[in-house]
Amino acid sequence: MLDLQSRIDRLTEEQQMIRDSAASFFSDDGDLKGIRAQRGQQPGYRDERWQSMAELGWLGLMLPEEYDGMNLKFSEIIHLLEQSGRFLSPEPLVSTAVMGAGALLHGENDVCKSEYLPKLAAGEWKVAVAWQENIASMSLEAEAVTAKETDDGYVVSGKKLFIPSAGGADAFVISAKAGGRTILLLVNKEAEGVSVEFNERVDGGFFGTLSLNNVVVAKDRVIATAGVATLERVIEESRLAVSAELFGVMARALEITVDYIKQREQFGRPIGSFQALQHRAVDTFILVELSRSVLIQAAKTFDETEDTAARAKAASQVKARCSDAALQVTKSCIQMHGGIGYTDECNIGLYLKKAMVLAAWLGQATFHRTRYGELTNAA
Amino acid sequence: MNEQAFRNEVREFLKANFPEKWRFPAHRLSLKETHDWQLKLYEKGWAAPSWPKEYGGMGLPPYEQLVFQEEFDNYGVNSAPNMGITMLGHLLIRYGTEEQKAFYLPKILSCEIRWCQGYSEPGAGSDLAGLRTAAVLEGDHFVVNGQKIWTSYAHDADMIFLLVRTNKDVKKQEGISFLLADMKSPGITIKKIKNLTGNSEFCEVFFDNVKVPKENIVGKINQGWTMAKSLLGAERITIGAPKIARFPLKLVKQLAMDNGLFDDPVFKARYTELTLDVDDLDAAFIRFAEVLRRGDELGPEVSMLKIWITEAAQRVTDMLVEVGGEASVLDAPVSLSDGGSVHPANQSFSSRPASIYGGTNEIQRNILAKAVLQLPG
Repeated sequence: MLDLQSRIDRLTEEQQMIRDSAASFFSDDGDLKGIRAQRGQQPGYRDERWQSMAELGWLGLMLPEEYDGMNLKFSEIIHLLEQSGRFLSPEPLVSTAVMGAGALLHGENDVCKSEYLPKLAAGEWKVAVAWQENIASMSLEAEAVTAKETDDGYVVSGKKLFIPSAGGADAFVISAKAGGRTILLLVNKEAEGVSVEFNERVDGGFFGTLSLNNVVVAKDRVIATAGVATLERVIEESRLAVSAELFGVMARALEITVDYIKQREQFGRPIGSFQALQHRAVDTFILVELSRSVLIQAAKTFDETEDTAARAKAASQVKARCSDAALQVTKSCIQMHGGIGYTDECNIGLYLKKAMVLAAWLGQATFHRTRYGELTNAA
Repeated sequence: MNEQAFRNEVREFLKANFPEKWRFPAHRLSLKETHDWQLKLYEKGWAAPSWPKEYGGMGLPPYEQLVFQEEFDNYGVNSAPNMGITMLGHLLIRYGTEEQKAFYLPKILSCEIRWCQGYSEPGAGSDLAGLRTAAVLEGDHFVVNGQKIWTSYAHDADMIFLLVRTNKDVKKQEGISFLLADMKSPGITIKKIKNLTGNSEFCEVFFDNVKVPKENIVGKINQGWTMAKSLLGAERITIGAPKIARFPLKLVKQLAMDNGLFDDPVFKARYTELTLDVDDLDAAFIRFAEVLRRGDELGPEVSMLKIWITEAAQRVTDMLVEVGGEASVLDAPVSLSDGGSVHPANQSFSSRPASIYGGTNEIQRNILAKAVLQLPG
């Protein structure tokens, strides 16, 4: 099929460079054998691959130069993440390089920034953000995890759910209720009272559940005192980032499927010559290109403004469309594959599973549509 | 050109010249009804945005044409397209003789001759090249026999440009010619077609031994198909513009507020989903328009806009009918508290042909499957 992006979108040199280097990096596992080998394994990816990504500078994609980062624009980052999505990369790019790095960067603890961000960019240290306490809740206020103030810092207890790539993380940024407000703290995985339980997901990766039992956190490990505002910024940026991955997932699933229906023959003809399948394929194509259009627009909004309402609206618009479209597209792709699409052996099922995980993460389509409606009517 | 300055200029002109009572009309207005307004556009030099300046047009590049149209849409100008401007003019400029250009182009601009388009036939809809209305050259005239259908505003038109069969013995696309005929010619009869809204924009036009002077052929004989197809270029983006869903969406909101439904969570969820269907298309439309803005051409991919927005518009008008409850099935407008009114059933009816005209959405899907997905035939 035609590469519509090359045909109609004029990319900047920076966008092209990051897209091309990411495409060549991720496509070396084009048949997804490497990913299959990682399913159900901890941490779910190979460290040497993570190190190669560090060498390419990608782990510091969001970070300014002073922390050894690349300081990319969002309209560049989406091209990298589209490629990681296309090849179902299991590496924690979004959860570490966007979410974890963002939590430290947008916080107010300069000592921690200097100490950890260069290490994060170098691939020597990984951090995951632990903020959710309830199923299907996007509340940024911590309730169940509490931080009791002491002379030297805090004592933290409670439980956090759905932590991405917890297995590879060296530390967690956690949100906790301290007094009347939510603060963000940096907690080492090895600290006394910290335990992590791993819950395997349908895609073979894991969400972690973090239990904190009277964990002592020093005062200088407070990442943000205005926890909700910091977390909000991080989560919105992560929603854009995960939408880019979702886009990559659906775009590649469609390509694989179009190639398949061109080759698969029944009734003496390629099944892709039948109008019923052609129209189904076109409908998935429209969803893919609609998603790409919204993604381009949302990234532009994030590059142009730090206004929280504008960013929230853009994040919900793109996460709603990409979540919904990725699910529709990958399910339609299974239908177009026929029986083989239901087997574990066929790669198309891996695309559905990845779409399911990313669509659910950080708010599914219905949540984001509702929020978009509220933000639109409030404006 | 500074885009904002241009937008302001267009807006100011509309404010000063376009009658208030015609803004956001319940039905699209005909060229005949809006004749005085068309003259104002002509006097301003704005009758033909897409024509080259040397022929009296504005010479706007495709993106500026879009901007120009957008300002008209935003102001609530909704009149039938002037087929002389949007279609015939371009063909005359490209294929017409010097005499044809000198005679017809000024009269198109000044609305002295109103045109209708004779393409579709009862047996030639999606398969337009299968048309059978025949023209036979006898001396100084073509003698035309046959029937055209879906001819918008034929009853208001002075002339018709039409595709006719001039050779039956070759591949169907290669035996078609392009003629200009006077609607007052003996042998032409017009029959209005009442549509689902009860109005009649479409007509059938019958040709019974109609004599058309042989100099009224545009281009060479049997070249008509190539000419007609050459028009399916950049302007196709306009039928994928978000406006056809945006306006009924506003009506849904107002009617739901009036009916006390707007705060119902089930309504709200569906309304927001539709809003996003339209807002997301906005993003795609802007992305495609950007291609024109930098001077590049759009290909067959532009069909996706038409498919998405016409089907979204139908979902919106379906919801409008639901929101109106029993009042939606009364054949009368419902008054709205913002001073406007809405006829929900007619909104629903008039959103139907959008997925049929200009190539049905099924034909558009065939085009995308072959030209973009490159699936086998």
